[in-house]
Amino acid sequence: MLLTLLALLPLLTGLICWPLRQRVVLERLNLLAVATVAGLAVWLGAEVLARGAVEAFGGFLRVDALSALVVCLTAFVALACAIYAVGYLREEERAGRINARLSHRYYVLTPIFVGTMMAVPLVNNLGLLWVAIESTTLASVLLVRFYNQKSSLEAAWKYIVIGSAGIALALFGTVLIYHSAVQVVGDHAENGFNWSVLVEVADRCQPAAMRLGFVMVLVGYGTKAGLAPMHSWKPDAYAEAPVPSAALLGAGFINCALYGIMRFYTVAAKCLGHDYTGNLLVLFGVASILVAVPFVLVQRNFRRLLAYSSIDHAGIMVASLGFGGKLGALGAVLHMLFHAIAKPLMFFCAGNVQQRYGSPCFRKVTGVIHTLPWTGGLFLMATFAVTGVPPFSLFQSELTALSAALAADRVLPAGLFVAGIVTIFAGFLIHISKLSLGEPVHDTAPGVECPWKLGAMLLVSAPLIGLGLVLPAPLYELVRRAALMIGGVQ
Amino acid sequence: MNPPTSETGSQFITLLASLMLVLQVLLAVQPMLITNIRIFALQSLLLAAIAGVVGSAYHAGHVYVVAALTLVGKVLFLPWWLERLVRQIKIEQEIRPFVNMPASMLICGALTVLAYVVARPITSLERLGSNTVAVAIALLLTGFFLMINRRKAITQVLALLTMENGVMLAAIALTTYGMPLVVEIGIFFDVVIAVMVLGILVFRIRETFASMDVSKLNELKW
Repeated sequence: MLLTLLALLPLLTGLICWPLRQRVVLERLNLLAVATVAGLAVWLGAEVLARGAVEAFGGFLRVDALSALVVCLTAFVALACAIYAVGYLREEERAGRINARLSHRYYVLTPIFVGTMMAVPLVNNLGLLWVAIESTTLASVLLVRFYNQKSSLEAAWKYIVIGSAGIALALFGTVLIYHSAVQVVGDHAENGFNWSVLVEVADRCQPAAMRLGFVMVLVGYGTKAGLAPMHSWKPDAYAEAPVPSAALLGAGFINCALYGIMRFYTVAAKCLGHDYTGNLLVLFGVASILVAVPFVLVQRNFRRLLAYSSIDHAGIMVASLGFGGKLGALGAVLHMLFHAIAKPLMFFCAGNVQQRYGSPCFRKVTGVIHTLPWTGGLFLMATFAVTGVPPFSLFQSELTALSAALAADRVLPAGLFVAGIVTIFAGFLIHISKLSLGEPVHDTAPGVECPWKLGAMLLVSAPLIGLGLVLPAPLYELVRRAALMIGGVQ
Repeated sequence: MNPPTSETGSQFITLLASLMLVLQVLLAVQPMLITNIRIFALQSLLLAAIAGVVGSAYHAGHVYVVAALTLVGKVLFLPWWLERLVRQIKIEQEIRPFVNMPASMLICGALTVLAYVVARPITSLERLGSNTVAVAIALLLTGFFLMINRRKAITQVLALLTMENGVMLAAIALTTYGMPLVVEIGIFFDVVIAVMVLGILVFRIRETFASMDVSKLNELKW
């Protein structure tokens, strides 16, 4: 019941919002839905901690520590984005950039998008995992095309065409992996495609098909996660979508895609051993970090900068997973947690700045701290957090990943990993410090912070600062169990 | 569980699968848009027939459902819908790919060889239709090529659909009974919705750029 509600509640909210027109009603319904979902997600996390794994419909839906973590993170990001969206859309309407019809579209599509994202970690069947991930693309593509401009149309086209091509590969890979297991689980087994069944029999699966299947799945879901070289849709989509949708994509959906990779990795590593799978993951992961470096350094648009940061972080998670062992898995899962907490703030600050100055270009925006003191300050803090400066928690997960690399004697990837992360940090610091602390633009008077947007920013800042100081025991237990499940199989 | 029932069934599937590949190559060189859509419909019809043969060879009820879904969705509905779209937006018929016809054909041939190489370790274990995995991978690869090679938005949609056909061929041929029914239905609806969303975008691209040439979508750079 709990599991069904988590996915169905947002989907139904979207449908209920369709015939409604009044803005206040739409806003409240959206907020109510995500707040309820967030509550349910926390409850689910507690259930999983108490009982191990929660199942429904005879194993059709199944939630273990990893899925519970993804559910909680998605709910958290969705809640923050929903609060931010109220202020954001009101201001866009006031500025005449959108009309009431467009905000209506936002309030209908967003809960549907959240519902499909929720479905990704809930389903046990690997085929349905694919269906859910493809549905998230379909639900979000019209959000990418939200502003009726040439550039947003181009971004949406790239988003769906590159995404669909990638995901077709993922489906092929899924079919191959099913094929490699079908001799073991039997043709008629209803549950033969379930992850929980596959992982039990993975060591007896047929390796040739598994090998090919894993590459295809990695490339396919890697496209959705934004790993290089399949990342080219990401800067466009993140820069063109309205800020709350971009935040949902960049902090919420990325976890769903990585979740898919983690599930398949667990099966494939058990069947093929760690060397083959690990090398592939390290290759894609480190490549993504390195590809992001030059684009971060020369970036002129701060919305696109966030997308390259997201490519970098997807790379860090995948590389950490590939470094192997429980330590590598721990690094990947921790990073997923910390990244999802830190990233929304980055998007929200960037959105505030863009709305205030009417441009996403660094050139036109300097000295934000003089006009919007909260935004300017928080933007700097978010930059430190996202680039992994201690005491913020991403430092801890990146260090864990690095120790995993050194423990596995992968010196060259470890060196590239550190070099990439440090250079990206430098690039970010130069860009954002100029943006926040530079000479103020003359013709801008001090602005007022919108309470909704500020509220959302403070809501994400609190755990961001808190996690830098202490990681609560139940949360760590969830992460530890997830990491054990992924990394403990070899 | 039945062992491979009929030699004829197996040969029939191989024949139909190779015809799908032939149609794919035809798609790569055929310049008229409407004809392209019809070739895709025919290819889907072959896919539905393969599903039908597999269903009867293994007496598997739900593979018939897959055949029926393919027939309704990919043979009838989507081609009709795409043709309507083409008429609505009144685009010129000729496709004008980046690579010319003989070169396209050579590339398709090379990709097919590549597909056979990739599929070699897997093919020996199949139970029905000895070459279908290789054909499926070839459809996927040539689908990628078609997508890169085409300027018009709507032909990219067609390329995506043929890739999907390749995947479904693998699903039917490799796993004997196809995937669990609920997965097949989910995939089916995702594909249909994807094409309709793409259709909306095609319509908007046509409206905004007064063209369907996706190489004009070049405003966004790094």
